[in-house]
Amino acid sequence: MTPKLKKSLLYWLLLSPLCVVILLPFGVMFVTALRPRDELFVYPPTWTFSEFRWENFVEMWVKTNFGGALLNSLYVSLTSTIIAIVLSIPAAYALSRYRFSGKGLYRNFLLMTQMMSPIVLVLGLFRLMVHLNLVNSLNSLVVTYVAFNMAFTIWMLQSYFNTIPRELEEASWIDGATSFTSLVKIFLPLAVPAMVVTAIFTFINSWNEFVLALTLIRSQNDYTLPVQIFSQVAGRYQVEWHHVMAATVLATVPVAIVFSWLQRYLIRGMALGAVK
Amino acid sequence: MASVTISGVEKWFGTLQILHGIDIDIEDQEFVVLVGPSGCGKSTLLRMIAGLEPISDGEISIGTRVINNVPARDRDIAMVFQNYALYPHMSVYDNIGFSLKLRKRSKQEISEKISEAAEILDLTPYLERSPRQLSGGQRQRVAMGRALVRDAQVFLFDEPLSNLDAKLRVVMRTEIKALHQRLKTTSVYVTHDQIEAMTMADRIVVMNKGRVEQIGTPMDLYDFPANLFVADFIGSPSMNFIEGVVAADNEGPFVMAKDRTRLAISRDSSAELGQKVIYGARPEHLVLSGGSEGFGATVEVIEPTGPNIQIFADVAGQRICALSPERRTHKPGQKIRLHCPEASVHLFDASSGARI
Repeated sequence: MTPKLKKSLLYWLLLSPLCVVILLPFGVMFVTALRPRDELFVYPPTWTFSEFRWENFVEMWVKTNFGGALLNSLYVSLTSTIIAIVLSIPAAYALSRYRFSGKGLYRNFLLMTQMMSPIVLVLGLFRLMVHLNLVNSLNSLVVTYVAFNMAFTIWMLQSYFNTIPRELEEASWIDGATSFTSLVKIFLPLAVPAMVVTAIFTFINSWNEFVLALTLIRSQNDYTLPVQIFSQVAGRYQVEWHHVMAATVLATVPVAIVFSWLQRYLIRGMALGAVK
Repeated sequence: MASVTISGVEKWFGTLQILHGIDIDIEDQEFVVLVGPSGCGKSTLLRMIAGLEPISDGEISIGTRVINNVPARDRDIAMVFQNYALYPHMSVYDNIGFSLKLRKRSKQEISEKISEAAEILDLTPYLERSPRQLSGGQRQRVAMGRALVRDAQVFLFDEPLSNLDAKLRVVMRTEIKALHQRLKTTSVYVTHDQIEAMTMADRIVVMNKGRVEQIGTPMDLYDFPANLFVADFIGSPSMNFIEGVVAADNEGPFVMAKDRTRLAISRDSSAELGQKVIYGARPEHLVLSGGSEGFGATVEVIEPTGPNIQIFADVAGQRICALSPERRTHKPGQKIRLHCPEASVHLFDASSGARI
């Protein structure tokens, strides 16, 4: 055995408890989603099962209105991501490029909003949405997700913008560009990695959000995926665990795939930003 | 092409004054170098000419037009930045052509201009590459190309060679000078390197702490530095300074150093007897004397540079440097005599630093 191999084996051995903790729920999820209903509660529990029941997914899709919830989730996550990014770019640009009074205060304010857990604010937000007549509307989620994510997106974008040399814009002004042309043709193309990273984070945050969705959405038709899945478990006489797990798989896997595909941007973006 | 007039220009950052009333007249087709130690305000002044930094007070004109409130894009200037500021997501071709594209020139004209500039700068094989695939010297040339295609009235250079290695710097220095002789565009060049300033400039502006110390041709500054700062800054190795008091004996006036060393000065000197002065002599003017001429010194360190030998020696408790083309070997600790022709001696008032 080469020393290098020995080393990797040792590292994996040290990491293995962590891997087990992380992977066990996923293992249970996959195994449960694929087994026939009668084999759900065998004792002692086993990892094996008699057949792959892909039908579980089809049944689940119909019974739990998965498609509707998926569309709701997509609508909320995509819209809030786009709005958050579009609103954050000017704010981050100003923070990165201009000197103005109250800049430090504003940055601290952004940081402070991150210190509060949404659950502390949930009651106030609910009353606010009642007042705005937005309860039971997916747009209430869009608005709150945008608000909660913007502090992070502004910070993230700003730290990346700081790494783009000012001289590039100055050179373009001297070349004859207006501030707007310079922004569109020089600055933003260079900021794409940062925008992708921030968008991924915002999307995943919104996709996984549970507390606010549970509070602000009252009708089953408007449930997002986490709430919809939760509703299959809570307050029922009989829980169809294989359906719940099938839904969980469908809610997790696509995001995981997208995430791993975009992770090269993620690493590049983070390495170039101040996060490293 | 046009002249540039800077009159009474001041720059304040909050309550901090960076530039104290700068007056410089740059003539049409002239190559002017702003030189000074870092923090002297030379880059700020250049950025004010470029329109990247607002002018707090005073006036800058290009030709007859006052440009204080004209945005950078309308000043008809081109600028080369220290870090080149090439657009990393564009090819060399697009980098050079960006300004022309913005001005909505025809495709054919753009391509003609770019190939012409690429020809001058030896960039033709690299036009399709992206800036990150180029070496430092090539990037530098792309930055020059970007300025070149513009036919701008004034070229501004902000320490364009300081990111290059020493050898390439010398090559590019000559190239820029040759380019200026060919195009004759009025140029303002900022550097902290006095050799660059001496070799390239028609006229040099020496700046220090936000003030102009002296303006003149390279040889003017070298031969007649207006004060201690300029004398010290221009020339490498820099001028030797020995403090002393003006005295006279039957051989004529001289500066008496602290340890009573006699440093001869010219009879025409306007220094007054008893005046506290600083005696300045350039290393290349200090010659080893065989006889009793000059003053005594003790050799401390010998540094051969090839064409010359630098002799560092102690005179009146101060270390001075003499350049000698002779290959005679001196030993540390050896007593020698050095002599500076009276006409080559510079005298400065000890309190004001001004030339006497």
